Amino acid sequence: MNTAMTKEELERILDEAVQDVTECTAGVRLHQGNQSPGEDLCTVQITFDKGFHTSLTLCADTGLLYRMASNSFHEESVSPEDLEEFSKEYFNVLCGRIARAMFQATQIPAHFSPPVFYHGRYEPEGREIQFILTYSNEHFGGVQFIHHVPCSDGDGVTSGKE
Amino acid sequence: MSKRIMVVDDSRLVRVQLEDVLKGTDYEIAAYCRSGEDAIAQYEEVKPDLVTMDIIMQGMDGLDASEVILKKHPDARIVMVSSLAYDDTFERAKSIGAKGFVDKPFHKEQLLKVFEQALC
Repeated sequence: MNTAMTKEELERILDEAVQDVTECTAGVRLHQGNQSPGEDLCTVQITFDKGFHTSLTLCADTGLLYRMASNSFHEESVSPEDLEEFSKEYFNVLCGRIARAMFQATQIPAHFSPPVFYHGRYEPEGREIQFILTYSNEHFGGVQFIHHVPCSDGDGVTSGKE
Repeated sequence: MSKRIMVVDDSRLVRVQLEDVLKGTDYEIAAYCRSGEDAIAQYEEVKPDLVTMDIIMQGMDGLDASEVILKKHPDARIVMVSSLAYDDTFERAKSIGAKGFVDKPFHKEQLLKVFEQALC
């Protein structure tokens, strides 16, 4: 399997997308740091199924997602259904931004499946973590973006190019 | 007279965002569909001036739904509004007959400019 992009490039793309999309979509500023989400958390997962066989997982404090959803819907109170809708759409837009940047860097179009939402932590089977970026907002909690690749065959694959 | 828009997106959030952006403009949201299948079923009844179509949706995706609508209604004006905005998707949308492409997260000026061009 070829290496399509270095881990550092991918981390930079993800970081830029997170900062930009989070502020634009949800009006919340996130800072890179060490504050992992607590026990009450939600997971959203997207699998890239064309171009790059990888997946991205968002794992966030439920309180942070509620705040982001509340800002986006302009409603103080957000239902669990709206929380799920917001989380999926936010991550969908984020992954679209990442896929576009990856295309600009590699000319490989990367398509992905609709996002899947889980209450609690979810870890995809048959995949291993390549890297985790951790962010937090001082008021509302933490979030992790986890990049998974298919279980390694030991060749240092970074982004699972087709 | 307001231009009537049919929004096709599996996320209610996008409808809320579009309502915000279109406040005070000459556009009104006439219908909201949560799937490609729903859009095909509703198009004839709603007869919108413009359709905004997401691409990644459960079931039939927005490109396939647009193709079906445009085969039956070649004068339909469809603008793709999607996070999946780059070359191969642009080209497929163009070849189907979509009138424009707006990437998410969208901005008011960009959206209105594409709508205006699509309705020319």
